[in-house]
Amino acid sequence: MAAKKLSKEKVGEVLQELSKFRLITPVKSDDVVIFREIADPQEAFLDYGNSTVPPKKVVFPQTETLFRFTLGNPELREKNVEEEGTTVIFGLRPCDARAMSIVDKLFSWDFEDPYYLKRRELTTLVGMACVQPPSINCFCTSLGGSPFGKEGLDVLLVDMGDHYLFQSLTEKGGRLEEMLSSYLEEAPAGEEEKASSMEEEAKAKIIRSIDPQGIPEKLPSLWEHPLWKRVSDSCLGCGICTYLCPTCHCFDVQDEVERGEGRRARMWDSCMFCEYTLHASGHNPRPTRKERTRNRISHKYSYYPKRFDVIACVGCGRCINLCPVNIDILEILEQVVEA
Amino acid sequence: MVDRNKLRETAKEIISREDVRELIGYRAGTYGFRARPAFVYDPGEVDQLIFTPACVNNLATYITLEEKLPVPRGQEPDLRKVAVMVKGCDSRALIQQMAENAYDRDRILVIGIPCTGVVDMDKVQARFPDVLGPGEIAQEGDKFVLIYDGRREEVPREELLADKCRRCRYPTPLVYDVLLDEEVAPFASDDYSDVEALEARSQDEKWAYWEEKFSRCIRCYSCRNVCPMCYCNDCILDRLRPQWIRRSVDISENTVFHVARAYHLAGRCIQCGECQRVCPVEIPLMELNRKLYKDVEELYDFEPGVKVDAPPLLSSYRPDDPEDFIL
Repeated sequence: MAAKKLSKEKVGEVLQELSKFRLITPVKSDDVVIFREIADPQEAFLDYGNSTVPPKKVVFPQTETLFRFTLGNPELREKNVEEEGTTVIFGLRPCDARAMSIVDKLFSWDFEDPYYLKRRELTTLVGMACVQPPSINCFCTSLGGSPFGKEGLDVLLVDMGDHYLFQSLTEKGGRLEEMLSSYLEEAPAGEEEKASSMEEEAKAKIIRSIDPQGIPEKLPSLWEHPLWKRVSDSCLGCGICTYLCPTCHCFDVQDEVERGEGRRARMWDSCMFCEYTLHASGHNPRPTRKERTRNRISHKYSYYPKRFDVIACVGCGRCINLCPVNIDILEILEQVVEA
Repeated sequence: MVDRNKLRETAKEIISREDVRELIGYRAGTYGFRARPAFVYDPGEVDQLIFTPACVNNLATYITLEEKLPVPRGQEPDLRKVAVMVKGCDSRALIQQMAENAYDRDRILVIGIPCTGVVDMDKVQARFPDVLGPGEIAQEGDKFVLIYDGRREEVPREELLADKCRRCRYPTPLVYDVLLDEEVAPFASDDYSDVEALEARSQDEKWAYWEEKFSRCIRCYSCRNVCPMCYCNDCILDRLRPQWIRRSVDISENTVFHVARAYHLAGRCIQCGECQRVCPVEIPLMELNRKLYKDVEELYDFEPGVKVDAPPLLSSYRPDDPEDFIL
């Protein structure tokens, strides 16, 4: 499909049009950028670097009800994800969209997760290319991504100054383009070529990198290597790196009952938490932060690629930017390479 | 400013001692102007150690954060000391931890650093977003000097100074075995104007304010884990039976969590500000902590972590307590 032009003045109208769906955009809460459902197009904050919390929470909510029940009654009232309705995430970054396509593999593997997959089916992703890499710690290009990456997206917008270049990439994107056709114009000649050269410029601005070649195969051989103790010495054991990771997908399932009414809920969990692998016996096979850090890196860079042929890291840099003690996944990977 | 050679020489001497197991200090970070905790086990490793205004972390946390594995049969537990570098604020955490009998004084060796204030790294990052570094920060008079990529830039101290340092009453450590520099006279005072502004709001305003903040919370528990006073072996947040606080993330559970966290720090928080610094969604946790700190100071004329050997506020009793607020 030929690319279109979306003038910036019309973005408000487009968001208005899209607000008949569940419309999720970056918003500013104080100085923090997060993804949230908006009712008013004015709330959308599109001039941003990247969000603190990735938009994975839209398709994989931090807490979600699986079913409800009443004590003493065998009937389970299952959650119907369909009721959440068609969802549009507008303005997410290519790395976060790519992360969703990586996580899809897990949720559609041996068990097809109906909640996640239904939500994915209902969701259309309108991405926004990173003309400027949002942070010094971006390294998407090391892992097969790009600041203009299209993987996982239905539409890619490129900021051309006074307008966006609107490229629909999938069937869902085509439907969206059709719906928005009255707001779109013919793209000026040569714009796609211009976007390609902008992509090269943006890639060149990404400074940090890692060559992942060989890391997945090497990691299991470093099981007892002293590097794990050293890189985890300063770890606090909090959940920042995993909760803010767009590909981390671990969850816990708990029942919550109050006055006879209950629900079974799924909620994010983190392999960095001390009770994550704690057995009922009291034994913990990952008793210290050393084993937990080793697991976090190994899961992303070894177990996941072994099973799904793709590294579970998109190089968004959030875990580096927000770690309270400056534990840096690139530094760890460099040590793995050198070990 | 602490002399770097003196710092490293002292560290070398300490880590060479037979009764010292490890030394916790600071080293340069991996990007920008960051500094990060350094764990030194060997005299050969001291050359990485630094102290600059970028050394924001409160290292006292690590004394209580250690996860001890059971000692194998036939082996003796390693009872050698842990040496730790502390600024004035951080040293108060050690005093409070020891007042609560978290460990004995002879388990640690305290390297005190008289501190003239650290930077707010978010402000540094916002001002120099494209610096890969490693950059260095030093203080010269009323300026911070930032050195990177062969360049040198001066920024007025006021513009980058961390908020907690603007009201620091204890810049020189209150407990130490070695002091690395001359004492720094207190350069700020605390008028609690920020807390008073919060107190002056109506209940509805306060609720709206905190609802916005708490609704952002992702319950990563970094505020708990970084806190030198949050060292319970069995935290109520991790308990499943009974489950005091649900893992569900919603405004109700988030509020309970934050209220519980703040109350558990009443009379214990030493205002190092680490919880607020590490919060990825920028919840102003110190506003809650400071409200309680002010109440404790006004009601009991007590400040935690300033007097070695003073009993903890909430577990001490005086027969002559007026208790007029009860009757």
